[in-house]
Amino acid sequence: MEHGSIDELERALRDADYLPDRGLATALYLSLALEKPVLLEGEAGVGKTEAAKALATTLGARLIRLQCYEGLDMAHAVYEWNYPRQLLHIRAAQEGTVVPGPDGRSVLESELFGPEYLIRRPLLDAIDSDDPVVLLIDEIDRADEEFEAFLLEVLSDFQITIPELGTIAARRRPAVILTSNRTRELHDALKRRALYHWIGHPSIEREIAIVRLRVPGVPERLAAEAAAFVRGLRGLELAKPPGVAETIDWAMALDALGRRELDAEVVQQTLGSVLKYHEDIEAVRDATLSRLVDEARAAAASQ
Amino acid sequence: MASGDAIVGHVVTFGRVLREAGLEVGPGRVTDALRALEAVDLARRDDVYFSLRQTLVSRHDQLAVFDRAFEAWFLRAPVLAPSRDREPEPVLRAVEAPADRSASVGEDEPEGELLELGASPQEVLRDTDFAKLTEDELRRVRELMGRIARTRPTRRSRRRTPDPRGERLDVRALIRRSLRTGGDPVDRPLRTRKTVPRKLVLLCDVSGSMDSYARALLLFLHATVGAGRGVEAFAFGTRLSRLTPDLATRDPEAALARCTAAVVDWGSGTRIGASLREFNEVYGRRGLSRGAIVVIVSDGWEREDPALVAREMARLARAAYAVVWVNPLKGNPDYQPLAGGMRAALPFVDRFVAGHNLRSLEELAAVLAGIERRHAA
Repeated sequence: MEHGSIDELERALRDADYLPDRGLATALYLSLALEKPVLLEGEAGVGKTEAAKALATTLGARLIRLQCYEGLDMAHAVYEWNYPRQLLHIRAAQEGTVVPGPDGRSVLESELFGPEYLIRRPLLDAIDSDDPVVLLIDEIDRADEEFEAFLLEVLSDFQITIPELGTIAARRRPAVILTSNRTRELHDALKRRALYHWIGHPSIEREIAIVRLRVPGVPERLAAEAAAFVRGLRGLELAKPPGVAETIDWAMALDALGRRELDAEVVQQTLGSVLKYHEDIEAVRDATLSRLVDEARAAAASQ
Repeated sequence: MASGDAIVGHVVTFGRVLREAGLEVGPGRVTDALRALEAVDLARRDDVYFSLRQTLVSRHDQLAVFDRAFEAWFLRAPVLAPSRDREPEPVLRAVEAPADRSASVGEDEPEGELLELGASPQEVLRDTDFAKLTEDELRRVRELMGRIARTRPTRRSRRRTPDPRGERLDVRALIRRSLRTGGDPVDRPLRTRKTVPRKLVLLCDVSGSMDSYARALLLFLHATVGAGRGVEAFAFGTRLSRLTPDLATRDPEAALARCTAAVVDWGSGTRIGASLREFNEVYGRRGLSRGAIVVIVSDGWEREDPALVAREMARLARAAYAVVWVNPLKGNPDYQPLAGGMRAALPFVDRFVAGHNLRSLEELAAVLAGIERRHAA
């Protein structure tokens, strides 16, 4: 499905249960229009990964996700030969004879390194796809710099060379979304290839709207109070300020408990869905917690 | 588009404005910006803003500069250059020694013999307290430091590399080679894990009480940052400054001059706890300290609450592989870690070493090379 304008894409994302701000919608739209990868950076939990999922839904495309980690290598990112099957095939062939084929290679070799013994990992899968694809390269900052250099090559040519099979070029370019939590700066060359968009925490109105969209049936007042409370938490100096993902989880938990509004007691019981560090939970107790609850209730009442 | 040429002119000029403000805006980015503007509605200011920002900026810390330039460009307000309140002090300028290279003692020393400097002038130099060095001596010290700094702690990577004495069978190579022998594996190719340098994070106190050591230790930071990837350097007094980009210049004098300009609170008071908190929150949270060796260079004089030092040290020590504290005062045999900040920090320190002269930096290098995780127990 094509999207003719930013407005159209914004609407389509909304229909896919994702509420982008104008900047993110512009970034995704330009990424499609200019056929360039887009790099999304921002604090954890602001919805970088979700954006890719929603984009795939609006395009009717398959989402292929490559989760990066330290030590990620070609065998896990691009392709790998299926060794057990190859060995079985060799065993079977030993019963018969190995005959040279017309191209000089033995029949056995051309059989062994055929597509049926190839295990496709995300990058090859995305390049070698006939259907529309959104390729999500998640947390690229966690991969080694060597892998980043390799990725740069793939993202410039959209082709992959497998020595035994030859070069596989993309028949249609996948939409590419890279995300980074900024644990380190990425290489300039990679950044030059991509559009760059920084995602901040959403405004209070948008956060309430997101919660109501993602937690169907949540009482309006509860959504507003939860969003306002989380906003208050972000104003404290915490080890890990909660993102939208935490607000959604928390609203779900409160809703499941049958709550219609916040009070200090229930916040204390459920704080673990919002704050993930012991120090943070310690820092938000008793007086601070009551104050934040009161402020959130007041803010929600004036919405 | 009727006004096409005008837009090209605008964007090219805007690109120049950004370049002057310190952003790297090449022709490729300007082309992208023009293509992006073609794809959006020029009447909507926010779409124009995001189109330009997403094509011309690629780093979070450049967003503020971009916003200022964009405001100026659209509203025709004058661009306010980011200003520093203080002129860089000439502390490190003094390092610029006379150009007489032949006077350098370390020059003829063969590579790799850094710990075997037998001759007496170096011997004296090695034991001289940094606070008492002359300019010329400091220059010679710099060369010796470069060699010490190349010693880096290592960790095992998850990547494997071919190695005849490796511990894991390389099945891919095995199958390829077995084809030559009709499917029978004759060779047994092996792979082993690579050893790569561990991340190293240096936090250097540049407050007033450390003044006499700061320039020598900054030279050490420069040499270490130059030693390879994965080294990050910070300076702190009352607040934290990241020095890695400033130290990345090859020329030590130029690098040090840039550092002096970058550190706003040179020679001020010390807020170790607050600086550590800033480090933990801004850089630690992004994973910089995870698995890293963190080296803190400070005399431990905390002006504020030692309890904050303890709390932030605990956070740091949990994420880091090991924490090393270098205290120049420890070089004095009578020294006792009585300063409040130092006492609060010590329980979370894996190694506590002196750092007042070259010999102690050699010791530091040896400690870094052989460090094991201790506090994890």
